[in-house]
Amino acid sequence: MSKRTFGSRLADAATVSLAFFWLIPLIFSLLMSFRPQAEPITIGNIFVGSRITFENYAAALQVAPWAWHYITSILFVFGVLAVQIVTVTMAGYAFARLRFRGRNLLLFVILLQLMIPSGVLLVQNFATIRALDLFDTRWALMLPYWGSAFGVLLMRQTFRGIPYELEEAARIDGASWLQIMRHVYVPLSIPAYVAFGLVSISSHWNEFLWPFIVTRTEEVRPLTVGLNKLYGTTEVGALYGQLMAGTLLVIAPLVILFILFQRRFIESFATSGIK
Amino acid sequence: MDAQAQPITASVVPISRRATRSWAQRLFPYLLVAPTLVFVILFTLLPATRTVVDSTMEPGRRASDPFTFVGLENYGDLFNPSHHIGSRFTRILGNTLIFSLVTLGVSVPLALLFAMLLNRPIRFMGIWRFSLFYPSLLPLIGAASIWAFLYSDSIGLFNTILRSFGLQTINWTGDPNTVLWSIIGMNIWKQTGYYMIFYLAGLQSIPRDIYEAAALDGANFRQQFFALTLPLLRRTTLFVVVISSIFAFQTVEQLQALNQGNPADRGNLLLYFIFQNIGERRNWGYINAMTVILVAILLVFTISNFVFFEKGQEDE
Amino acid sequence: MKKTHVVSLTAFILVSLLLSLVPALAQDNAVTLDFYYPTAVDGPASQVIQGYADQFHQLYPNITVNPVYTGSYTQTRDTVQTEVNAGDVVVDVAVMLATDLFSFVEEESVVPVQTFIDEMDDAEAYVSDFFPAFMENGVDENGVIWSIPFQRSIPVMYYNADLLEAEGIAVPTNNEELLAAAQALTTAERWGLEVPVAGGFPIWLYQSFATAYGQPVSEADPTEVYFNTPESLAGLEFLTKLGTEYAVGPVGGSAWGDTPTDFTSGHAAMIYHTIGSLTSILQNADFTVGVSALPSGPAGTGVNDSGYGAPTGGGNLYIFASSTPEEQAAAWLWVQFLSSPEIQSDWGANFGYIAARQSAWELDPLKSLAAEHPQYLQSVDALQYATREFAAYRAIDIQNIINVALSSVISGSVPLEEAASVLATAQDQIDSLLADYK
Repeated sequence: MSKRTFGSRLADAATVSLAFFWLIPLIFSLLMSFRPQAEPITIGNIFVGSRITFENYAAALQVAPWAWHYITSILFVFGVLAVQIVTVTMAGYAFARLRFRGRNLLLFVILLQLMIPSGVLLVQNFATIRALDLFDTRWALMLPYWGSAFGVLLMRQTFRGIPYELEEAARIDGASWLQIMRHVYVPLSIPAYVAFGLVSISSHWNEFLWPFIVTRTEEVRPLTVGLNKLYGTTEVGALYGQLMAGTLLVIAPLVILFILFQRRFIESFATSGIK
Repeated sequence: MDAQAQPITASVVPISRRATRSWAQRLFPYLLVAPTLVFVILFTLLPATRTVVDSTMEPGRRASDPFTFVGLENYGDLFNPSHHIGSRFTRILGNTLIFSLVTLGVSVPLALLFAMLLNRPIRFMGIWRFSLFYPSLLPLIGAASIWAFLYSDSIGLFNTILRSFGLQTINWTGDPNTVLWSIIGMNIWKQTGYYMIFYLAGLQSIPRDIYEAAALDGANFRQQFFALTLPLLRRTTLFVVVISSIFAFQTVEQLQALNQGNPADRGNLLLYFIFQNIGERRNWGYINAMTVILVAILLVFTISNFVFFEKGQEDE
Repeated sequence: MKKTHVVSLTAFILVSLLLSLVPALAQDNAVTLDFYYPTAVDGPASQVIQGYADQFHQLYPNITVNPVYTGSYTQTRDTVQTEVNAGDVVVDVAVMLATDLFSFVEEESVVPVQTFIDEMDDAEAYVSDFFPAFMENGVDENGVIWSIPFQRSIPVMYYNADLLEAEGIAVPTNNEELLAAAQALTTAERWGLEVPVAGGFPIWLYQSFATAYGQPVSEADPTEVYFNTPESLAGLEFLTKLGTEYAVGPVGGSAWGDTPTDFTSGHAAMIYHTIGSLTSILQNADFTVGVSALPSGPAGTGVNDSGYGAPTGGGNLYIFASSTPEEQAAAWLWVQFLSSPEIQSDWGANFGYIAARQSAWELDPLKSLAAEHPQYLQSVDALQYATREFAAYRAIDIQNIINVALSSVISGSVPLEEAASVLATAQDQIDSLLADYK
């Protein structure tokens, strides 16, 4: 496999050029965030302004209590993910491997969650959160996401791809259901869990409307609410530098997390390669 | 691992082959599903039922007035060209279908291509993987703000580049003929990396020795792709197609920052249109009727995908 | 344990209990107000509002104001509407668009502040200190005052004064001069005039043309809308031709958010924009910035037959019907506080809104700011030509109808020759919505 064929060189070239193309928006948002506000890219050099400035970051930081927003976002996404891992593993297994009355109906009901835009259910869900006395708390942010149709579907698809013979063999050895999950299904599904973790974290990190509707206190509101504040300034003129600075501040932790996660990705890639 | 080479293995097997199962065994699947179900019922099913009911209602003038039952009148109004919502609804529904099909048709194959490119040994893997995936990490409003800058007619990046080559500039989000394509372009950039992740996970669970065996048999790349990769990724593809169509139908924030549905609804999409009307309490019946239609389209699409991808795979 | 210890411990507990009762007693008549406000400005608006709430609490120790940032005006209204629809209203006071009044009147979710004004000793002085143009949208057709101006604005024309002087062009005062100046100022790299009507809300600036040609989109009667009129059509044609025929600005109008940057970076010589952008425009422009009232249409029309006309804009303070009488009384104190000359002066100077009270302009910090930058006073001059902004029953629906109609003509989606039929279709839809309210 170490011989470099023409095909693999072509693939390398395609990877690099696609990646470059995809990076353009990020590169320019970085450049814009350090460019003086009064200098749009049409003035002077297209890449850098007349000077490098941190004023966009300073202005963006001033607009919202970002430290609280960071804390809330972190608690929110991990509070959701921790519960989700358990619930989607359980339900994913049931739908992948067990036969029971009403299975398809229940799967259908759960999948409805994916199809119904939550934004149109705000009124009733707001009322539910008020009734549960969780309004304006971090619990209110998390609660609706603890059941994840997305995760159930993903784990169902993943578990179905695992040979049933492995479970049978473990069962003959006297393994309990928990042991089977621990030693067969979960380890063989690590790539799917990593993928799920990534998308769960990034989508909740970026959730805006629901947190915005069920919280009022800045301390329990996530980063997107702060970003929304910055976005509001477009009413008096789009301050792209500030918007980019704010966006980069918001995604910085996710980028770090991704870099850590993606090492795990390579590891799981390596182990599955060995087998 | 050779079982994976035969993906048609019956994948749903009863927990016990004995004819009679204990009540605990019969209860077990429901216990597994219950935690998910509780939250889905509370935060989706019950309010969604209310949505269906309210789609046949008309609110009164005062907030405290009871709703009036109007049957399917709201649905009729949506297709009435002289109605204030109906006159816009069909065009926006059409936009949404074009938008979803094009986004899906481009981003899903592209995601598979990304995944295959990144599932090979290559130097600096981390950089390429990050480059293609990072758009999914961006909050929609942030991503859309970046694209608002790229697309800006006067001070945007794309037009500045066009101008520097002496070319005609394009009013990306302001021209009725280009606006929908501009939103589609941004959306493909934003979502493809997301779908790529699932294809990567799918590719990584395919054992390498299958390919090695095929290569020994003299199968070329194209034969391997159509005979092995695509069939083995069948479940992943089902998942990605379903998810991506749902996401495409539920596009909102992109429009908020890019064009607010303008010009003249040529760049408007269904869910954004629903939100445009949600502030007026008396539109409540229409809001719910439009939601029901949106979900119905998604249901038909999703169910037909399941039928298409899973036929012959069910044991029942 | 020694006996003395037991005694002292008991005493300690008793005293603590008593002490803990004191604040409870003091707060027996304590009121907490949830105050929702949108922000649409550059800067730390939340901190400033919190500062006002703290000041207010010192004045009235039994009232605590809890300021809640609720996004844009649209997001604020949607948040409030979610609470109203759920039948569980949290908000006590909110800053919402002055033009949304009749939606709230209709659903009876807000109370008229008129009842509180009637109980004031100096009601007359209080009301007459507001600029009349800003009061218009807070009043219903029977003259009852429902809401109080808080953060208000108007559209003005910004011009590059250095450039006009260098080219020997006088500041245009009517549309003919405007067009001539714009044509003279347009070059390959620069538009003569940008009117930002490309975004989601063309109705606001369009109104100034309709009014200047003689017929505002709405008047005092909230059941009548005048969209399909010769004046409206003439205004729309002029606005559209700026791009398509005269080519002094981009076809379809400019984008709202990019327009100030186009101006400060020299890509546009003159722009229409909100006075709210003045602060950041002054900050970013390296030339002398001129501010004037929007040029007039044909004389003998418009406000006071002057040919001038500009809609007001921005947010008013509303008090909610769902609050208790005690909360409403406290809310009225808070509304008076926010509309006081002192706060109006501070809020206007900080964020570029036009202080709604005339006496606010006599007070620092606004007074010294206006002395330093005469552009602020030019905005007050422009205010005499301002009039009510579009408002009617079903305002959100009607704005949607009008915005789509305008956008289809301005963007060229529908040819200009068919504009009249676009207006007629829109008017039919509007009339059928308003038929319920006649």
